[in-house]
Amino acid sequence: MTKKVIVNFTVNGDHETREAEVGQTLLRFIREELHLTGTKEGCEIGECGACTVLLEGKPVNSCLVLAVELEGKELVTIEGLSKNGELDKLQQAFIDKFAFQCGYCTPGMIMAAKALLDRNPNPTDQDINVALSGNLCRCGAYQEIREAIKASAIK
Amino acid sequence: MLSYDYVKCSDLKQVFDVLQIHDHAYLLAGGTDLLVGMRGGKFAPRLLVDIKGLEELKVLKENAAGITIGAAVTLNQVAAFEPIVKSAAPLAAGAHSVGSYPIRNRATLAGNLCNASPAADTAAPLYSLAAVINLLGPDKQRSMPIGEFFLGPGKTALQNGELVHSILIPKPYPAGKGVYLKASRTGSVDLATVGVAVQSWGGKVRIAVGAVAPTPVRALAVEKAVNEGGEKDWTKVAKLVHDDISPITDLRGSREYRYHIAEVLVRRGLELTMGV
Repeated sequence: MTKKVIVNFTVNGDHETREAEVGQTLLRFIREELHLTGTKEGCEIGECGACTVLLEGKPVNSCLVLAVELEGKELVTIEGLSKNGELDKLQQAFIDKFAFQCGYCTPGMIMAAKALLDRNPNPTDQDINVALSGNLCRCGAYQEIREAIKASAIK
Repeated sequence: MLSYDYVKCSDLKQVFDVLQIHDHAYLLAGGTDLLVGMRGGKFAPRLLVDIKGLEELKVLKENAAGITIGAAVTLNQVAAFEPIVKSAAPLAAGAHSVGSYPIRNRATLAGNLCNASPAADTAAPLYSLAAVINLLGPDKQRSMPIGEFFLGPGKTALQNGELVHSILIPKPYPAGKGVYLKASRTGSVDLATVGVAVQSWGGKVRIAVGAVAPTPVRALAVEKAVNEGGEKDWTKVAKLVHDDISPITDLRGSREYRYHIAEVLVRRGLELTMGV
């Protein structure tokens, strides 16, 4: 039988106490236990960035974190960015700049970009390239993604 | 789903006690290699021992001995730590070139070394800086130069029940320039096809090359020609790197390509650190 552990954490501002299975990745826990399916599963080996979430304010690949490691931590997923039904400025900029085609990489892109803007409100192209180097877009919307991030930067 | 047990330790005694009684226990720090390896069947732990909460292993400091980097310090912390940026440039560059920004928020320097890939981006820089690895076991601690830590692909000098406690960049630091030059298939999220670290001080150099032998290696023939022979023709001297490397062909590059690019990167490294 799979062992379960109680974890206490904050997700998108709400305190939660849940059971997590030892061996379950944070990605699976987010999707299958918290039912927050905005976080996407791509490669599951940390190469594509589709599963990027903010853990303690920092972007991480949720496929490379265990759910049990969530104990006492603060988690933000793509669902946590909008406030009172209003999209975050960065989300709106992705729409305005057509910064996606299929949209599968978009939640991960936005979370990595959100973390960049939190630590560097006015990034250069090079800053953006480094911060998003772990996020793949197979539709090739990179140029528009950079424009969306710059559009929501503080000038 | 993978099946194993998990324990988060709060002190080193607990870690050693757990390691002593459990077979197939693996230490979990950043987990970015471990989880991928478990998924691919490379590692089959029955117990994961989480050590990243230990205050003692989070140490990142500079003192009279040099720069100490604890086993739980992440690569983003290493790449941004001012004394490393200032006095250990090849390490800052090597740490910054691992994976991607989110991976470096989890991955640790100690983990990159314990994974013991010959292509580890932080290894060649540590060879060029004459780094020392501090190991700790239940009964004793020991230290060794990084060159003695790496034994082969995936193999280190760690004994059962031992862990890497910290890495020391000893003083005096080389008072010169240092670089880490990496050839890889993509700009990020790839191991080095060849990685070259060059550190100069007072007209001398120390050079290490990754992904060209079972462990990272020093380019001793190049070093000797420059340091003892006074050779200044970098194009000529860079060819001597061939004496110390034995690359293989794999998906990242052929043996011949690795010989070529190692020579090119050594020449560029010499130009950047010793002047054209």
